[in-house]
Amino acid sequence: MQFLSGGFVILWVISFALYYLLPSKHQWMVLAVASGLFYVIGTGAFPFGILFTALSTYACGRALAQSLAAQKEALTHCADKEEKKAVKSAFEKRRKRMQILHFVCNLGILLGGKYTAVILPFLREEGLLTPAGDAFFSNIVMPLGVSFYTLTAIGYVVDVGREQCEAQRNLLKLFLYLAYFPAITQGPFHRYEKMRAEFAREHVFDYGRLASGVQRFVWGAFKKLVIADRLGIFVGNVFDGTRLQITGGIYGVAVVFYMLQLYADFSGYMDMALGVSETFDIVLPENFKRPYFSTSVAEFWRRWHITLGAWFKDYVMFSFIMSDTGRKLGKAAKKYWPEFGKHVTALAGTMLVWLFTGLWHGRTVSYLLWGIYYGVIMCLSLVLEPHYAVWKEKLHIREGKVWSFVCMARTWVIVFAADILIRTANLAQAGAVYLAIPGRPGIAATLGTLTDYGLSRYAFALLLFACALWLFVSLCEERGMDVRKRLSTLPLPLRWGCYYGVALLLIITGIYGGSYDTAAFLYQSF
Amino acid sequence: MEEKVLEILEEYCEEALTYEGDNMMEEGVIDSFTVINIVSELEDAFDIEIDAKYVVAENFKNKAAILDLVERLLEEA
Repeated sequence: MQFLSGGFVILWVISFALYYLLPSKHQWMVLAVASGLFYVIGTGAFPFGILFTALSTYACGRALAQSLAAQKEALTHCADKEEKKAVKSAFEKRRKRMQILHFVCNLGILLGGKYTAVILPFLREEGLLTPAGDAFFSNIVMPLGVSFYTLTAIGYVVDVGREQCEAQRNLLKLFLYLAYFPAITQGPFHRYEKMRAEFAREHVFDYGRLASGVQRFVWGAFKKLVIADRLGIFVGNVFDGTRLQITGGIYGVAVVFYMLQLYADFSGYMDMALGVSETFDIVLPENFKRPYFSTSVAEFWRRWHITLGAWFKDYVMFSFIMSDTGRKLGKAAKKYWPEFGKHVTALAGTMLVWLFTGLWHGRTVSYLLWGIYYGVIMCLSLVLEPHYAVWKEKLHIREGKVWSFVCMARTWVIVFAADILIRTANLAQAGAVYLAIPGRPGIAATLGTLTDYGLSRYAFALLLFACALWLFVSLCEERGMDVRKRLSTLPLPLRWGCYYGVALLLIITGIYGGSYDTAAFLYQSF
Repeated sequence: MEEKVLEILEEYCEEALTYEGDNMMEEGVIDSFTVINIVSELEDAFDIEIDAKYVVAENFKNKAAILDLVERLLEEA
């Protein structure tokens, strides 16, 4: 079920009304039922996948909690340090086995769904599939939101194991945490302890909050329908079209448009998700913080898909660094290289995270290379950072607006190069684009053929206006302004002029399908 | 004990010695990689095990919190 569909709006309105009519202790139930309905209606099938994840996560969480309690009890009977160590180690091993079983089962479903399409052609070609097997695997459909709820479930199990939260005793409450409908399709990835507190507290109807949530939803729809989907027409015609003679300039414009499309599409979705959640008085974590204002790639990834980055950092990087392997690696490295050795575990953890991030986003070699590319850049910046200050002094570079802009532009170029990898159909096309952009830019031919890729002059003018509006809002936010709050203080005619203006632009110039359907969100495919 | 902890902090993050606030990690005085290095050194120096559950911002908010953590773990051991 798409956010921009009649079915979703009906579900939203009904659950909203029931939510505030019921006493506060039952409000979470409305969200749980709405999430179940969203899931069942959205997939049109019995939700085996998510129910399995919810049940296995619930059971694992409870078992971990019981093991931790039993360990505490057993430790009180230990006579000395050695005995304590042995008892602790035995319990830890048992808990590790439980966690591994949970990860294998749930990641198996995720990876099976993601990689079946890659493995199937190979198996067919090698004649390793029976007709019945082929039919079975061909009919496998990725469960809705499987990437989201699997990672969320793993995070919960790790948190229980690390004693950072208590195991949930109510299965339906755990299901709500995993399947909360504003977030299930693309995130943001939320933490169990924070969400548990959010669902548990009392929520009282507030008109201002409702208005604010709806405004954010509409703004997200504006970014998606007016900007992202319009940019997508040009990008699609350049990279997926049949035209042969495309200048480097057109490729350059298409990659810039793709960078903006991805950002408008994904952050637009987040605005809608956070806006819907805000109307229920449930605060979801922010997932974007104007990433294109970043002055380094590390900062860019702290501002782009923030919650996924934090998930990888806490559950992959941290688990690796704190593991026996990570610790041994660090100690061995420090022995051989006293100074550089301090960074080795961090560097290995960073590369690991970026490999996973690449493979999580896509199943092609391009995504793997994309992960390695960012991993290498992050590692380099980690190692070279202490030298930056010295180089800057030697080169007489002064901090200021000009230098910040140069750093921002450098970040854009790095992201630009990475986006070519993931938007092109294969490595051959990516190579052709890398060569064409500097090799044959063809400025005059580019300007002359800009309107040949599905966007008229009017569409370009509209895009320019919409992007300028988006930039203006982003600049205000970057300076610390709460734009929605500021809007609410404007004189009535001006305020409603703004609301109507954006709504009208959305209705008149949004890219809709034949039956007012909208295109799927780009990140849904990751 | 205190002297050894401060010695480790001096080696990995000198700023932590003079920091007087109560959120070193959030304020960028110390990053997560440095914390991991300090954890590893503390484990070796005091023959203690610092579980993942202890490696949270609260226990590394300033040098007093780190000293307190080591003291607690030494008592538990």
